[in-house]
Amino acid sequence: MEFTLLWQVLTAVLLTWIGLRIWSDGVPQGGFDRLIGAGVLGLLVGRLAAMALQGINPITNPADLIIIRGGVHTGAATIAFIAMLSWSTRATPQALDGISPAILLGLAGWHAGCLWRGACLGMPSDLPWAWTLEGSQITRHPVEIYAAAGLLAAAWLVSRLGRRLWLRAGTALAAAAAIRLLTEPLRPSITGGPTLWYWAGVVVGLVAAVTGWVLHRPKVTVPT
Amino acid sequence: MKKLLLLILVVTACAGDASDDASGVDDLPAVTAAGFEAHLTELEKPAVVNVWASWCLPCRSEAPLLDEAHHQFGDEIEFIGVDVQDSQPAAKQFLSEFGLDFTHFFDRDRAIPSFYGGLGTPITMFFAPHGELISIHNGVIDERTLALNIDELRETNP
Repeated sequence: MEFTLLWQVLTAVLLTWIGLRIWSDGVPQGGFDRLIGAGVLGLLVGRLAAMALQGINPITNPADLIIIRGGVHTGAATIAFIAMLSWSTRATPQALDGISPAILLGLAGWHAGCLWRGACLGMPSDLPWAWTLEGSQITRHPVEIYAAAGLLAAAWLVSRLGRRLWLRAGTALAAAAAIRLLTEPLRPSITGGPTLWYWAGVVVGLVAAVTGWVLHRPKVTVPT
Repeated sequence: MKKLLLLILVVTACAGDASDDASGVDDLPAVTAAGFEAHLTELEKPAVVNVWASWCLPCRSEAPLLDEAHHQFGDEIEFIGVDVQDSQPAAKQFLSEFGLDFTHFFDRDRAIPSFYGGLGTPITMFFAPHGELISIHNGVIDERTLALNIDELRETNP
């Protein structure tokens, strides 16, 4: 047994926890627990969707659910995660905006966690910072490190945005999806990657952010 | 509402697996480690060798990915399955269920993974042309790892 995937998950969880402490403004009580709960549900739904698409019946093969390496459907997992988080924070409408920078930092941790697994590399490259697989002569893009750096920058950027409903959450979704979309061509792939889902994330995120920006402008009172 | 949920549960439980018919699948040829090594030595193409078994749950999860990889890269790379510690009927049922239509060998004693130093089941091994072992992945292989190793084989042997 090897537990490198577990270390990668723990890196993501740790950075999410740190993010909630750095950007604690607007984070609801029990924010970390709600995030972890939504994350577990997202993972479960994403795994179920992947099994269904692979033709594996989850009722006749329930143990397959825990074989996370067998695949998790990105779109289904993301929708379930956002739905669960929205539901669990429904009493505080701006909770999603408050949590967003920490989520991006956690995602950065997930991608940087490739270092535990030796799974950071993408397509061949001659750039000076390209890496090689052990025993290989081919230098490759450290694509997961690119994604981690992009998400780190996005987390900081989102934390600097104004406090308008959906603005931070929408921007965070669009940024996360855009970073995946931009780095996807640098990843070796068999199925082609869920690029349609990334496009959907960019569009939905931008719509939410612009809606928040327009509809929730602070009211200016003109002195009479 | 409860009745509807129960009906969905029953229909879902019955769906899928029962319709797979293994009668069209031939017996898998038995092979020794020496015979397998000789087979790889004759190959002009690089090879991906997957060690699986019908009783192995993770093997079920990675089977669709291997099938997809075979359809995508089968012209450039030889895909070979090695069924270990299994019975012929169960192996044929597995192949029928997942449609893995590449060459498979039957290795009841696990001689092949032991010969190459693989641990557990599943195992995925990557070979250069003529059987030089490049890398070995113990456990379930995910899409990125499989794609990266296949890319290594393709880049090394254009």
